[in-house]
Amino acid sequence: MQTWNDSAPIYQQLADRLAVQLLDGSPPEGQALPSVRALASQYVINPLTVSRALQALVDQQLIESRRGMGMYVMAGARQQLLRAERHRFLEQEWPALRAKLQRLGLSAKDLNWETPQ
Amino acid sequence: MSHDKQELLVSAQDLTLRYGSKTALERATFNIPKGRVIGLLGHNGAGKTSLMKALVGLLPAKGNLQVLGLTPRQQRGALLEQLCYIPDVAVLPRWARVDELMTLMSGLQPRFSAERARTLLRRTSVGEKDKIKNLSKGMVTQVHLALIAAIDARLMILDEPTLGLDVLSRKNFYEMLIDEWCDGERTVLISTHQVEEVETLLSDVMMLDEGKLVLNISLEDMDKRFVALSHDPATAEAIASAHPLLRYRQQGGRSAAIFDGAPPADIAALGERIRPSLVDLFVALTRNPALQAKNV
Repeated sequence: MQTWNDSAPIYQQLADRLAVQLLDGSPPEGQALPSVRALASQYVINPLTVSRALQALVDQQLIESRRGMGMYVMAGARQQLLRAERHRFLEQEWPALRAKLQRLGLSAKDLNWETPQ
Repeated sequence: MSHDKQELLVSAQDLTLRYGSKTALERATFNIPKGRVIGLLGHNGAGKTSLMKALVGLLPAKGNLQVLGLTPRQQRGALLEQLCYIPDVAVLPRWARVDELMTLMSGLQPRFSAERARTLLRRTSVGEKDKIKNLSKGMVTQVHLALIAAIDARLMILDEPTLGLDVLSRKNFYEMLIDEWCDGERTVLISTHQVEEVETLLSDVMMLDEGKLVLNISLEDMDKRFVALSHDPATAEAIASAHPLLRYRQQGGRSAAIFDGAPPADIAALGERIRPSLVDLFVALTRNPALQAKNV
């Protein structure tokens, strides 16, 4: 079964997972998300919890509800997520990472920037 | 009749059940609305099975009880036509074939749809000509759920349906339940020991402790009402002074505490707010004499 941690409410964790998928272009902008029931079944999670997660994404203006048709990824959602994630990385993760690199005496040229195939 | 009343599938006031001198259920008052997945949690002997039996009219209980607008004890026949129930001792006859059971159900249950049962069975690896005695325990339970979920009803009552099943069978069972039963209108009441596994499935939780209903809350409200703090072991004494319901250790060894309601700000500042898990809350509410005293 899916594992959820105790850092945040489950609907929030599901919203975060769906946001990561949106960032990867799944589904692409303008396309429909799976239905509440499909998501509920996929994650074995209560449909009400799924609805709350989707509502959280609606509140962030990443997806929108089209009457009678379900949820669609909004235009610009990926860009917006990318901005938010970059901001979060620079604010929250980078200071600790920079401190560690400095402690280890590593600079940008010591790091492998090639993406492994 | 008010609109709210129509939406209630079960309404119980002061439900009390005794076996001789032993009290199985003590003045339980609760409502069950439509469209919910309700977990009925309790240790062995807490009263889960008794409560379910009272709901379907198999045990006489004192107090007021309406199920689907009927009085279970007096109108059991009519009631059993309108709800789905798998008792904890449920068995399917070993000699029967799956299609024979469907014929049997068609004769017994006016609201049973063989076509629907076939659709449900197609989700599983069970064939209609299979004999029950040749199926694994997990498959038998799936057949049972398929037969029961093929009844056009609004309320399903499952008493420990996944007991003794391996993890994959349990997952298949819950997937079928979520997929094929939960449509926002129908409700299922499900008792289980496997608290961790059903947590994400539930919309509401009812906890019984020694016959008393110690908690009846939606998961959404549970997240709001109960506050769990993850904290440094060094602050344990200060945390304890604020009377948490339970102190425990998180995975990874950090200390944590659950509070009923927000702790004072100076205490909250000592830790980081985390999600209280249903298991921890279950332990807190069914093993904490102080809280039980508070609830009386």
